[in-house]
Amino acid sequence: MGEITVETFFKQNRRRLALELVAGQGGMDRKFTSAEIHRPGLALTGFVELYTFDRVQLLGNTEMLYLAELPEKKRRETLGMIFQFDLPCIIVTGNNPIPGGLTELADQQAIPLFKPRFATTKFTHLFSLYLDDIFAPRLTLHGSLVDVYGVGLLFTGRSSIGKSELALDLVERGHHLVADDVVIISRRSQGILMGKGNDILRHHLEIRGVGIVDVEKVFGVRAIRLQKRVQVEVELVDWDENMDYERTGIDDKVVSILDVEIPKVTIPIYPGKNITVIAEIIALNYLLRVSGHHPAKEFNKKLLELIKKRRRQEGVSFSE
Amino acid sequence: MVNTFYGRIMFEKIVTIKNQLGLHARPAALLVKTAERFKSTIFLIRDDLEVNAKSIMGVMMLAAEMGSQFTIRAEGEDEKGAVEAVVSVIEDKFYEE
Repeated sequence: MGEITVETFFKQNRRRLALELVAGQGGMDRKFTSAEIHRPGLALTGFVELYTFDRVQLLGNTEMLYLAELPEKKRRETLGMIFQFDLPCIIVTGNNPIPGGLTELADQQAIPLFKPRFATTKFTHLFSLYLDDIFAPRLTLHGSLVDVYGVGLLFTGRSSIGKSELALDLVERGHHLVADDVVIISRRSQGILMGKGNDILRHHLEIRGVGIVDVEKVFGVRAIRLQKRVQVEVELVDWDENMDYERTGIDDKVVSILDVEIPKVTIPIYPGKNITVIAEIIALNYLLRVSGHHPAKEFNKKLLELIKKRRRQEGVSFSE
Repeated sequence: MVNTFYGRIMFEKIVTIKNQLGLHARPAALLVKTAERFKSTIFLIRDDLEVNAKSIMGVMMLAAEMGSQFTIRAEGEDEKGAVEAVVSVIEDKFYEE
């Protein structure tokens, strides 16, 4: 959660949303903190009880038609209803002409007034995508994110356990590095976790004893991805004989990241163990599950059937 | 100062970068090597960015310039010593100008 200045919003969207700054330049340092857009229809009629004035205000066809039909004096009064508040900015969509009084008020109160080239629905859609991204809950994790067969595997574990080496090994086998060491995860709508790297690091990783490696330069652009959905967490842990590791994979373990649950696999490691192949298997198993197969459960089902059959054949001779 | 975070006890201090070139590769390596001598988990925190002090890429990512401030926080059995050691290497300007 954060805030964004109208200036930043304008700079980042000027071309994408074909924005024109009509008035209110003085208020470019205003901020907004919500990913919601508000259409102040009711506020214009005077009902300002629950008016969410701190959101971006959107005047679409309905509002503009309503304003256009009012006599000049009444229109100014009506606009005054919303201009008495500290609005972050106002956006007038569609081909609606800007009625007299609106630009003057915007200049006077220093509330930026924008006009995009898009119609209301299209604009709202594009703008929401942007706001969702800006205000998405975020988290920075210590780990690496690699796209393995199209599955985003997030490797975690203590410092120097071998996450970077594993990432490099996977890249060598044709998979794609998204981020190493620092993974920035944001939650998109519908419970999707998106991971990317830091702009300064940009696909550089450190290998103990060698130093900094530029993956993009060494392996080419094919070896990298800028962002990838985080689908499975793979935790690397030191082998500990007293620990209980998963042996069948029947019970799915999950981990919650930013309140989104994703499968989690814990892999004990020791020198000489080939984790790269295991990582590929984890990705492939995940793909199988997505397409409706659950290897461990299916195997167990067959096993149970066989046991049942044997029991029937032998008669119920052993004590029950 | 001793602080609690999610109920855990930990130790933290605020430091200012004093060497001219800031936290570039060589000082970052020195900082990481210092941090690695300790068992505690050590973090460097600048604004909303929190990086592992034992990871050189993380430390370099801070791109901390001379005069910038950040918090060093450690958690573990040797947390106090860990913070003090990292602080002293920064205060000593990483033995450079």
